[in-house]
Amino acid sequence: MISESEHRAVVDFLYREARLADEGRYAEWEALWTDDGVYWVPASTDPAADPDRHLSHVYDNRSRIATRVKLLQSGYRPSQDPPSSMRRLVSNIEVRKAEGSELIAESNFLLAELAVQAKHEMHVWAGRATHRLRWVDGALRMCRKTVVLINAAEPLPNLSFLI
Amino acid sequence: MSEPSTEPISYDALVQDERVHASLYTDPRIFADEMDRLFFRGWVFIGHESEIPLPGDFVTRPIGTQPVIMARAMDGQVSVMVNRCAHRGTMVCSEARGNTRTFACPYHGWTYDLTGELLGVPYPTAYDGRLDKKTKSLGCAARVGSYRGFVFACLGPTSVTLEQHLGVATGLIDRACDLSPEGEVQLTAGWVKHRCSSNWKMLPENDLDGYHLGFVHMALFKSVRTQYNRFTGDEKSVKGVVRDWGNGHTEIDWSPAYDGPFEWFGTAASDVVGRYVAALQARDGAAVMARRVFEGPPHALIFPNLFLGEMNIAVVEPVGVEESVHWHTPMFLKGVPEFDRRLLRQSEAAMGPASFLLPDDLTITGRNQIGLHSRRTEWLELSRGVHREHVDAEGRRVSHLTDETTNRGFYRQYRKLMTGA
Repeated sequence: MISESEHRAVVDFLYREARLADEGRYAEWEALWTDDGVYWVPASTDPAADPDRHLSHVYDNRSRIATRVKLLQSGYRPSQDPPSSMRRLVSNIEVRKAEGSELIAESNFLLAELAVQAKHEMHVWAGRATHRLRWVDGALRMCRKTVVLINAAEPLPNLSFLI
Repeated sequence: MSEPSTEPISYDALVQDERVHASLYTDPRIFADEMDRLFFRGWVFIGHESEIPLPGDFVTRPIGTQPVIMARAMDGQVSVMVNRCAHRGTMVCSEARGNTRTFACPYHGWTYDLTGELLGVPYPTAYDGRLDKKTKSLGCAARVGSYRGFVFACLGPTSVTLEQHLGVATGLIDRACDLSPEGEVQLTAGWVKHRCSSNWKMLPENDLDGYHLGFVHMALFKSVRTQYNRFTGDEKSVKGVVRDWGNGHTEIDWSPAYDGPFEWFGTAASDVVGRYVAALQARDGAAVMARRVFEGPPHALIFPNLFLGEMNIAVVEPVGVEESVHWHTPMFLKGVPEFDRRLLRQSEAAMGPASFLLPDDLTITGRNQIGLHSRRTEWLELSRGVHREHVDAEGRRVSHLTDETTNRGFYRQYRKLMTGA
């Protein structure tokens, strides 16, 4: 069992992470990662999907997370310049302990994105996120974030923002 | 709303040597003609044999706007057939891939074998012996051919063979396959599909455009060092070339700008690379091996829908006149599975909706699509570098990396097929 206060801290972390991604606060979002962070968006909903054998949408180690953020910060990415207008809802949160002091939080999300870079299309993204969290210097940090989109294997429009 | 025009479309007028008309990207009648003349009566890429290695293996996918099944029969032969029941038109198979002995229609249970032949129908007595099973197959492609594992088909009737269609561009496929010590590539990592709001032709045109790199991809080049940075300097210092191989097959060749081997791969020093080089050398000799690892893979279009994107294979799927999908998968080299993980990560960086290159390209093609609705300015320029192309000893047109030789080659073939010339 995890304590009420620890559960509260996890929920606060998920809300904050969602808001920083929605608002394009890239440096603050990047600071939520541990040094060994892995950010994974598989290209299928199959639980057997394996990033070492199958192509993913995103499988970033910490250095590639930094590159992803740098591109967004450059102001020269036509696909996020101007940035999409976004708001996401995070819900159905379930938290459990992992080995050591790490925590695993699973949640559903629904994200509305207005892609304003070309035709001003409204995109809806939905799926389940799994955050693996660790206490670092008294604050929660994420060491793994996996986002399984319900339509991961379907044709997707640009996903160059932070999901 | 104005009435749709009923005037016949003149592709000779719309596709000129140095410019093309905007209606090619916006007119639904032209899209319908393309689906007929290019994607039904013309040769198109369907899939790769490594996707269906075993008897009974199949994949389903759209070819143009038609649902198609590619399957390996019990005798090992590859069949390409339309995914449409001969009875009431139902899409017979809804899975993306799998292994089966038969395809059974979910509507009334008509059952077909792996070559598309009708095996049986429930309650057959009602047909009173008048149902000729031979004429009720899943419509098989008129012609199917395979070149080094790449399966192509012509769904409708044609007098053109695959050999004639590919012509000398087999050399581009060879350049990819010969990088494998076993001479084969494997497309087993699965496909990522990237949707965009532009006409399908924008995708191959952009894939073969060497002019846009320093503009559309500036964020990447400013953020990290890539093998493409060298193609963004001043015009005279850019050393790559473009080539038109004929029949619409075109190429950007980066290798004239490389300074050493494996620049296309990003690394040259490891035990695995050492063993790889030794395997290539044992097969090809030192000189050919050295050329292969220097030049690297092709960056080429096999007209109209297969893009050999260096260590990626991409396919262009037209969906509607203003919508298309870019599919891609990494090109694994048989014999060096140790490269696979690196190739997966490179593929994710280059292509797909969350990559560092393609989202920016497809944003631009989406903006092109908006601009092309202008009635005041109706033409797209295609003249860049026309005065400085030359024909090389192999009969290919060659020019500066940033020249539109590639897309002029695309449109020469397009005009030929669309006019039936």
